[in-house]
Amino acid sequence: MKLSFSAQDEQFRTEVAGWLNANLTGEFEKLKFRGGPGDEHTYPEERKAWEKKLAEGGWTCVGWPAEHGGRACSIEQQVIFFEEYARAGAPGRVGHIGEGLTGPTLIAFGSEAQKEKYLPGIVSGEELWCQGYSEPGAGSDLANVKTKARFDEDRGQWILNGQKVWTSLAHEADYCFVIARTDPDSVAHKGLGFFLIKMDQPGVEIRPIEQITGTSEFNEVFFDEAECDAQDIVGAPGDGWKVAMGLLGFERGVSTLGQQMQFQNELDEVVALAKTNGAARDPIIRQRIARAHAELKIMRYNSMRMLSGQSGSDGSLQKEALIYKLFWATWHRGLGELAMDVMGPECEILDDGPYELNRLQSMYLFVRSDTIYGGTNQIQRNIIAERGLGMPKEPRVTAK
Amino acid sequence: MDFTFTEDQLLFQDSVRDFLVNEITPERIRASWESESGRDSALWSQLAELGLTGMTVPEAYGGLGMSELDFVLLAQECGYVALPEPLVHSALVAVPLLVDIGGELADQWLPKVATGEAKVVAGLEQNLLVEDAHVADLLLLQQGDSLVAATADAVSLIHNESVDPSRKLFAVSVAGAAAVVANGDQAQSLIQSSLDRGALGAAAQALGLAQRMIDLSVQYTSDRKQFGQAIGAFQAVKHHMANVAVCLEYAKAPVHRAAYSIACKESVASHAVSQAKLNACEAANLAAKNCIQVHGAMGYTWEVDLHIYMKKAWAMANSWGDAGFHKTRVANHIFTDGAALGAGATFA
Repeated sequence: MKLSFSAQDEQFRTEVAGWLNANLTGEFEKLKFRGGPGDEHTYPEERKAWEKKLAEGGWTCVGWPAEHGGRACSIEQQVIFFEEYARAGAPGRVGHIGEGLTGPTLIAFGSEAQKEKYLPGIVSGEELWCQGYSEPGAGSDLANVKTKARFDEDRGQWILNGQKVWTSLAHEADYCFVIARTDPDSVAHKGLGFFLIKMDQPGVEIRPIEQITGTSEFNEVFFDEAECDAQDIVGAPGDGWKVAMGLLGFERGVSTLGQQMQFQNELDEVVALAKTNGAARDPIIRQRIARAHAELKIMRYNSMRMLSGQSGSDGSLQKEALIYKLFWATWHRGLGELAMDVMGPECEILDDGPYELNRLQSMYLFVRSDTIYGGTNQIQRNIIAERGLGMPKEPRVTAK
Repeated sequence: MDFTFTEDQLLFQDSVRDFLVNEITPERIRASWESESGRDSALWSQLAELGLTGMTVPEAYGGLGMSELDFVLLAQECGYVALPEPLVHSALVAVPLLVDIGGELADQWLPKVATGEAKVVAGLEQNLLVEDAHVADLLLLQQGDSLVAATADAVSLIHNESVDPSRKLFAVSVAGAAAVVANGDQAQSLIQSSLDRGALGAAAQALGLAQRMIDLSVQYTSDRKQFGQAIGAFQAVKHHMANVAVCLEYAKAPVHRAAYSIACKESVASHAVSQAKLNACEAANLAAKNCIQVHGAMGYTWEVDLHIYMKKAWAMANSWGDAGFHKTRVANHIFTDGAALGAGATFA
């Protein structure tokens, strides 16, 4: 055990901080501390330009292997990169789905052709991705996916029909990875495929969903005879579930480090506000802030413990990783509540019309979704109890 | 940066766990409740033979010279079996305190601690009472701003019953000759570090206790049937257990971090310890509450072993600084002007 950074790592820190300091200026200045969770709708064009700027400096995909265009940073360096990125106030990444999910999944499960075709666009910050998992009838019961994919021999294409929902950033994305049923007679986890779909085509329609924040980050996505090249299915038809679950492992791995630093910025804002408006004099508020601080530290330590314990190359993490989603979602929801209590009576007053929420108000509303998307807290507890603790499985009701 | 334990540390943990689980059965603990002292000198000799009483004693005094970080996993195992003997207290509090005091006192007592011939305990005002004073040969006692050393014949004891029948607590007054071993700032610093080490030991034991309660409850809810199936299959039951599992898993990293921080004498050690103590004891308390619930009425009986671990967990939560004490320490740390917080202060 060694809980400190080496001199080399600290030198890397100086390099990251120096680059951000020199480049997060001018047209990008206004992006500082913007674009995080609940704020993803802001400055989309400027943030896309920022992705390319990052790429020019070699600061996208820092943890990817060099052979795939990454910077091959160690875990320590990735920790440091995310820390400095947050400290500089650099904006929420519009490329995070491609970098954190698509890329690692293709590196682990994709064909050589897929890697060649898709990885460079992610590294260069030019191609953005979204995730097509949930459907109206497949939320908590994700395996109940109904979107169908049939192979058209004449066109040499997979043809997709169906609907996805809660698709974050679909309106900005160039591509979507989609799980769809390749075997129409199959049920549950079997008979699924994992497809890479181009968004800009006649068979794909995107409709934004207005959220309780009054803004739209996620969408409905309709596939009506949407096309997908024969070589753009990851793994074989029928392997979709395996690939989809591998991807979720990446979601709970290194990409957590960046998320935690966004949380840190939010918490810092709450602490600063509590000091300014006097809420910090209330002993109960002090203790709640102390607790939030301690728990965020623990999330970080736990991620580092998990990552230094090493994950498999297929994205699989140790059993400990099962608990991450439940913990951070619950913590973040609590932070939203704490932020409102720190704001006091002013928490209901908007900055401006029409429906212009400030960052903390927006966060407070947004965090209500945290304990729902990506597996509700209730589903997480089932998984933890059954797979983590080995408790008896709930009897499944067979669909008629 | 590396958050893992070495192969040696993990192997040692395994072998100590095997020994403790075999020896310190619930039946043996219940038998100790019936004995006069509640302590078993034959067992202490066995612990000494395994090198455990001398783990943290410097090699020059015949010990193994191991650190708090080496011992923390063993303290978890002591918690797992609810070991009544004061091993964690001795290794994490009394021995390091004797080492810090140094001089003749250390020369005289540390070799005997290593061999298991003598027991030393520390009494801090934070704890109100002194645990295991009745079996101690030497007592290191906080008296206001001073720290004094007194041998067993120089103190008088009044036994106070604990809710945990395994705990033996005493009000100690010095009746005979006692030597002042530290005063003023030096005493304060020794008291502070002893409190931190004691809190680390309580936190580590709380992790083990929570794990034990989970194991007992997973077993029980897998066996017990109602409505034609194991009750553990019901979400209402398994969610109780999942909440405990999450709380426990997240408490491990801060405890290990605190052990590292103390072992490396980091300036933030007290802060790290407070975080560890809060989280570990919260996990153990939640385990106690939820595990008794999923046991149903059986969990409320003296006969079922669950309460052995529950009661120890409650005792740990309020020893070496209760939750209020440690929360206040964390809050004060955060609200200090210029505190190292936020990005870049990961290990600050």
